[in-house]
Amino acid sequence: MPAPALRIRGLRKAFPKVVAVDGVDLEVARGEVFGLLGPNGAGKTTTLEIIEGLTSADAGSIEILGLTWEQQGQEIRSRIGVQLQSTSLFNKITPREALDLYGSYYPKRRGTQELLDLVQLEEKADAYHVTLSGGQQQRLALAMALVNDPELVFLDEPTTGLDPQARRSLWDVVRRMKGEGRTVVLTTHYMDEAEALCDRLAIMDHGKVIATGTPASLISELAIPSVVELTFEGAAPEPAAFAARLGQAVERRADLWEIPTPDPKTLLPRLLEAAEAAVVPFQQVHVRRATLEDVFLHRTGRSLRE
Amino acid sequence: MEWRLYARDRVAMFWTMAFPVLLLLGFGTIFRDGGGPKLSVVRVQSAVQSPHDAALDQALTDLQLKVQTLTKAEAEARWSRGETAAQVEPDGEGYRLRLNSYLMAQAGATAGLVNQAWLMAQARMSGAPEPQRIPVQVESPGHKRSTNYASFLLPGLLGLNLVSMGLFSVGMVNVSYREKGKFRRLAVTPLPKWIFLLGQVLHRLTITVVQAAILILVGRLVFGIQNQGSFSHLLLIMTLGTGCFMAFGFALSGFAETSEGYAAISNLVFFPLMLLSGVYFTLDAAPAWLQHTVALLPLAPFLRALRAVFNDGAGLAGHGLGLAIVAAWGFAAFLLAVRRFRWS
Ligand SMILES: Nc1ncnc2c1ncn2[C@@H]1O[C@H](COP(=O)(O)OP(=O)(O)O)[C@@H](O)[C@H]1O
Ligand SMILES: [Mg+2]
Repeated sequence: MPAPALRIRGLRKAFPKVVAVDGVDLEVARGEVFGLLGPNGAGKTTTLEIIEGLTSADAGSIEILGLTWEQQGQEIRSRIGVQLQSTSLFNKITPREALDLYGSYYPKRRGTQELLDLVQLEEKADAYHVTLSGGQQQRLALAMALVNDPELVFLDEPTTGLDPQARRSLWDVVRRMKGEGRTVVLTTHYMDEAEALCDRLAIMDHGKVIATGTPASLISELAIPSVVELTFEGAAPEPAAFAARLGQAVERRADLWEIPTPDPKTLLPRLLEAAEAAVVPFQQVHVRRATLEDVFLHRTGRSLRE
Repeated sequence: MEWRLYARDRVAMFWTMAFPVLLLLGFGTIFRDGGGPKLSVVRVQSAVQSPHDAALDQALTDLQLKVQTLTKAEAEARWSRGETAAQVEPDGEGYRLRLNSYLMAQAGATAGLVNQAWLMAQARMSGAPEPQRIPVQVESPGHKRSTNYASFLLPGLLGLNLVSMGLFSVGMVNVSYREKGKFRRLAVTPLPKWIFLLGQVLHRLTITVVQAAILILVGRLVFGIQNQGSFSHLLLIMTLGTGCFMAFGFALSGFAETSEGYAAISNLVFFPLMLLSGVYFTLDAAPAWLQHTVALLPLAPFLRALRAVFNDGAGLAGHGLGLAIVAAWGFAAFLLAVRRFRWS
C-alpha cells in the first residue's frame, strides 16, 4: 500500500504576536480532494506554506508522498504542484512564456498548449500578465501548478475574489484534476466551495483543526440538523426577549433570526404562536438543512463570514 | 506616515543616520596621522646634484609637499603601477612635470604647488634673471599622451558603470523582487539557487557587454576615441569585472531585509571601495597597513587593467595577479551569494 499523499503530526508555528498553527494533525489519502476550511487568519496559508517548504515550522513532522523535506527536498519539489495565495509574476510575462519557463525547471513537464486548453486561456496566451483579469490570473496560476504533471497539488484560496462564473469554471478544473488521479489539497473560506469540491475537509480556527470528516458527516454529526429562519424587512430586531419567551436560542444575523433545532415540525407552530403574541414584524419563514456554516458556528460560536 | 514607517525600519534608520558620521570618523582617523592631508610629489634624482636641485627640494618642503625622492628606475616602476599622481624629473637644463592622466584633481593641485616652489627657489637663488616655469606633461601610467581628455575618462566610466550596476541596480532589484514575493513561486520548483543566480549573473553580463559596446562606439563616433588594445582582452576584463561586481551585489542583497536596508548596505561597501582603491586619489597620506589592505580590493586592479588595455594598448601580462584578485573576489562573492540567498 503506498504511503498517504500527506501525513502531518503536531505541526506548530508561532509568529511574534500570534500562534498561527497550533498543533495540526492531518492525513490525506491519494486521489482525494481535501479542503482546509476556516475564516481569515485561521492559519490555513501558514499550514500550507510549511508543507510546501516555504516556511519553517517550529515543531511537527511532515511526510509528503512518503518523502520528507530533510532527505528528499528536490524530489518533493518536482512531484508537487503549488498555487500560492497570491502569485506575483513579472508584469510583462505572457501565460505561454510563464508556462514554458516554469516547465523548464522540472524534469517532467506537460505541454504548454495542453495546459492553456485545460484552463481555457488560449485567447490570452500571448497577453502580458498585468493585462489579465483576476480570474485569468488565477487560472494561469492553476495551470502553473500543473506544469510538472504533479501527483499532489496545493491550491491556496483558488477562487477568492472571483465572480461566481469564474469560480464555477475553476471548480471544473479542480474536478478534472481529481479525474486525472491527482490528490488536491485546497484552502477556502467558502463553505459552499468546500461542500461542492471536497471529499473530506478539516475545519480550522485559531491555528487548530476543530473538526475533520466528509462534508455530509460533519453536518450530520451536528445535534441540530435544521435551522428555522425568520426574515425581516431591513435589520433584524434584538432577539433576547423573544428567545426567553420561546425558551430556545435565537441568533441574529443582518436581516434575519436563526433558530437551530433538531425538530422543526414541533418548533414551527410554537414559534409562529409566540411571534404573533409578541408582535414580531417578520416577513417570511424558512426551514433549511444545516450547512458547514452552522457546523462552524456551533463549534466556535462565531460565523465563518465574520 | 513615511517618517513612522522609516523609523520602524531600524536598519535603514541606523545606516542612513549613522553611516555618514562613521565615514567621516573613519577617514578622519586614517588621514589624521600626517598632521593634515599632504599632497605628495615624486622627485626623480638628477645624475649630479646641482644647486638648483637643492633649492627646489627646499622650496617643495617649505610648501608642505611630501617629497619622495626616487631613482629614475624606481620612479618609473611606480609610475607604471599608476601610483604616482605627479612627478618632477630633470630634463636637460631644467625640469619637467609629469601628471597622471587618471588622477588629475590631485595632480593639478600638486602641479600648482610645484611651480610655486620652483619660482620660490629661483627667486631665492636670484641667479636667474627671468623666472621660468616647469613644463607640464599629462600622461597615463602606460605613457600614452592624448590631447583628448575624454579618452582617459572612458575606461573609468565603463568600470564605474559596471560597479554601480552590480552594487546598486542588481542587488537592489534582487531585494525588491524578493520583497514583492516575485521569487516565492520559484521557491517551490526544483530550480537550485545557484543555477538561478548564475543565470542572473550571465544575463547581466550580456547587458553590460552590450552597454560597453555602445559606450565605446559612441566614444569613437563622437570623440574619435580608439581602443588601443585588443578587444578580446577588453572583453575578458569586462567579463571578470562584471561577474565580480554582480556577484557582490547578489551577496550583499542576502544581508538586507528591505530595499532601504539594501541602499544603506550597498553604500557602506561602495564608498570605501571607491575612495580607498586609489582610483580617484592616491593613498600616500594613509598609513602603510591600510595601503597594503586596499591593494587586495578588486576595484583597483580591475580599473588598472581596463585602462592599461584600452588607453595604453597593453597586453594582460602585467595584470595577471590583479585579474586573479578580481576573479577570486567574484568567486567568493558568488559562493556567499548562494549561501545567503533567500527566495522570500
Ligand atoms: N509572516 C507573518 N508574520 C507574522 N504573522 C503572520 C505571518 N503570516 C501570517 N501571520 C499571522 O498568522 C495567522 C494565520 O495567518 P494565515 O495562515 O495567513 O491564515 P489564513 O490563510 O487562514 O487566512 C494570522 O493571524 C496572521 O496575521
Ligand atoms: Mg490564507
